[in-house]
Amino acid sequence: MSQSLRPYLKCVRSSLTAAISLSNFASQTAERHNAPEIEAGRTPEVILNPLVIARNENEKVLIETSINSIRVSIKIKQADEIEHILVHKFMRFLTQRAENFFILRRKPVKGYDISFLITNFHTEAMLKHKLVDFIIHFMEEVDKEISEMKLFLNARARFVAEAFLTPVSSFHGAAVLSWG
Amino acid sequence: MAYQTPAVVMDNGTGYSKLGFAGNDSPSFVFPTAIATKGPAGGAGGSGSGRPAVAQKPSYLTGGAGPAGHLSAKRGTEDLDYFIGDEAIAMGSGPGYGIHYPIRHGQIDNWDHMERFWQNSIFKYLRVEPEDHYFLLTEPPLNPPEARENTAEIMFESFNCAGLYIAVQAVLALAASWTSSKVQDRSLTGTVIDSGDGVTHVIPVAEGYVVGSSIKSIPIAGRDITYFVQSLLRDRNEPDSSLKTAESIKEEFCYVCPDIVKEFTRFDKDPERFQKYVVDQGAGKKVTVDVGYERFLAPEIFFNPEIYSSDFLTPLPVVVDNVIQSAPIDVRRGLYKNIVLSGGSTLYKDFGRRLQRDIRHLVDARIKRSEQKSGAKSGGLEVHVITHKRQRHGPWFGGSLLGQTPEFRSYCHTKAEYDEIGPSIVRRFALLGGPA
Amino acid sequence: MLLLEYHNLLIQTLLTERFNSTTPTSIDQIISDFDGVTFHVSTPESKTKILVSISVKCFSDLVKYGANDVLRREYGPYVVEPEVGYDFSIVLDLENLPATQEEKDELIRKVALLRRNAMAAPFERAIDTHHSLSTEAAKFTAESAPETSNSEVMAIHYREEEAMYIQASHDRVTVVFSTVFREETDRIFGKVFLSEFVDARRRAIQNAPQVLYRNDPPLEIRNVPGVKTDESGDLGYITFVLFPRHLTRQRREESISHIQTFRDYFHYHIKAAKAYMHSRMRRRVADFLKVLNRAQPEQEEKEKKTVTGRTFTRAT
Repeated sequence: MSQSLRPYLKCVRSSLTAAISLSNFASQTAERHNAPEIEAGRTPEVILNPLVIARNENEKVLIETSINSIRVSIKIKQADEIEHILVHKFMRFLTQRAENFFILRRKPVKGYDISFLITNFHTEAMLKHKLVDFIIHFMEEVDKEISEMKLFLNARARFVAEAFLTPVSSFHGAAVLSWG
Repeated sequence: MAYQTPAVVMDNGTGYSKLGFAGNDSPSFVFPTAIATKGPAGGAGGSGSGRPAVAQKPSYLTGGAGPAGHLSAKRGTEDLDYFIGDEAIAMGSGPGYGIHYPIRHGQIDNWDHMERFWQNSIFKYLRVEPEDHYFLLTEPPLNPPEARENTAEIMFESFNCAGLYIAVQAVLALAASWTSSKVQDRSLTGTVIDSGDGVTHVIPVAEGYVVGSSIKSIPIAGRDITYFVQSLLRDRNEPDSSLKTAESIKEEFCYVCPDIVKEFTRFDKDPERFQKYVVDQGAGKKVTVDVGYERFLAPEIFFNPEIYSSDFLTPLPVVVDNVIQSAPIDVRRGLYKNIVLSGGSTLYKDFGRRLQRDIRHLVDARIKRSEQKSGAKSGGLEVHVITHKRQRHGPWFGGSLLGQTPEFRSYCHTKAEYDEIGPSIVRRFALLGGPA
Repeated sequence: MLLLEYHNLLIQTLLTERFNSTTPTSIDQIISDFDGVTFHVSTPESKTKILVSISVKCFSDLVKYGANDVLRREYGPYVVEPEVGYDFSIVLDLENLPATQEEKDELIRKVALLRRNAMAAPFERAIDTHHSLSTEAAKFTAESAPETSNSEVMAIHYREEEAMYIQASHDRVTVVFSTVFREETDRIFGKVFLSEFVDARRRAIQNAPQVLYRNDPPLEIRNVPGVKTDESGDLGYITFVLFPRHLTRQRREESISHIQTFRDYFHYHIKAAKAYMHSRMRRRVADFLKVLNRAQPEQEEKEKKTVTGRTFTRAT
């Protein structure tokens, strides 16, 4: 499985490193405003072509750049409905805490599971290569976490079933619970 | 079905948690807010940073050390192996379990522990299916909205509760005071003096909203009174001067007197006032302890803190007066008229009377000064301290009162709303008991 | 906590406290229990007579299957007319308690199991029917023994949209639970759990009861009125097949208590799993934040000097 993972992440890393070249840009449409152009979308000449890096049709990364902001959207692998619901819950949990994350966008772009919005202010305050590290780290960790949670769920289910159906000696005081 | 399930009222405080059903006059369970989990005591517990501890992963090795608990011997269930409340204190003193206190200074510190605490409270103690019930939880004043959102996330997503209402403890204490015979109109304006085990708060509430900038805390509370009683017992070389004995003596014999000097002479004249307390030290051994001046000296430290320690010297009536004076001028009259007591450390006999008298003196002195300076006559200012039978668990009882009203359900946020809009709905709650 | 308790903890603590204390006080508490069961503990006439009443949502169903007889059998001397609004009441006279401590504890234990006993009636009837059917069948030879069972299917609607169906036959007792999941998360978690229940017998515990799970009503109960087939997939049917070894005289009490708690146990563990997921996610969030904070460069405390030589630290 990780055969295609390494080149995928390498590609994302180099694309991001190239794309996060942001500079300050005052809004041309509203006086004295400074808005992330990729979100405002009103000035087409500062928005660059979006780029999709797809590992397969279930996993891809969309990078949309503009002069002062970049939006990175990730679609995470969800093989079955358990993973689908786990990803959904996890993303919801994360976006709930978006303020702590600075670069997290509260709503994902349509068709993707989660989005990051990085502006020139972020790149001025934080180191660029570390930001890219973070996003790559995030992608790896999320996959790992989802599979761990799925394992946990199965193990727990097995345990719960056995606990209900087996002879268990000391849970209910003197009474010996036995099914046979 | 025509029958509506009663609402569940949970008041989680720093020291004790009170749980029960709305409509009852006292909580069904009162136990310490403590949780005992496998592993060492204290520390950051589950909410610390870093990878999850090895014991938490669904592994096939037996997790953790400790002979206790068959549960952790089974795979991957360390998170189910915990106790809360009194059992937690009992298990925590043994090997293998560490005690944690998820609530500090009224606010929830450790969300993992709190979630498990609630889980056990709901399924083991209260035995309710959360989907069938509406929940009323309490929060301290000045609780950040993020904490409320986290609570809602846990309640709605993990437990699927039908509806949720989060109320401020001070406002519920005011609602509880409506049962007192001295109260004619049900008002949500008043000063709440909440004195528990650790700290005493004076909280002014105007029209159901807490005046946050005027809240003052006094570091004198139940624990300090117990220590004081203990030190007096020790000074007299009583046979038993343990903390537990001091606590029992405090709860059984202490009262507030109107004047210390007169009380000393009264004691000397009337030896009946000296009492005896029998301590059962276990194994059949019983010791008798004399109880004397500490009967009235101990609660006196509220009114004369200098007899206990020199760290804090402002008497309680002065603090209350300062708090009300720092509140906006148009609500001050209502705040003086409705001073409500809540919490275990306000249960001493005549506590309310003495407080009312002292505050009234301060107020009258101030009015006289201003009359002299300005020459105009003042209309007078009423000072009332309200005591009622449900003071010990004031916020819980207030919650029970409000939770049993038919319109309670319409004030709650329901699961459907949460699913549609998100946790931000709990940043605002309509005021229960306020104007319609 | 792994398994749910059978008895009601609050009733037990309340009664233990009252029995052992010397001063009677008045009580008036309404206590809720799982599945729409409400208890009312009060002292209406005098402080020494404690009235314990229970109201069960499906009491009318239970009465059909002999609940009143079972309850009378268990609590004989204490039964009184049901209190207004409730289905069954017993009175405990603090002045007339049994003598020894063990008997008192036994009484407390029994009262705390009031809900369990109320719901036990249909199970007991099924087990008795099974025993009589099996003794009947033993008279026949193998070929002519009746194949399917024609005995009554007992339906108990203990929750608003969920019900329990019990049927006895000569070689087994079948208990079918219908359960509803409102949330998609719950439904998916529930499916994972249930598939493990089904597999447990095959994999590990050969002696366990057989569990089957499907979305449409199983064959046995299709003819029972009120059984719906729900297309959206919210409704599920879980069948437990109890074999004779689970129904012997020694084991039947335990089996009845245990299987009653199935639905609540199941939902409890789904919620416990969700709570655990939350704590994992919190840990991950903290982890991510740590990595993100590495991206912030170190703020050095630079000592800056002005021309006159005064120093000041930069406030960050």
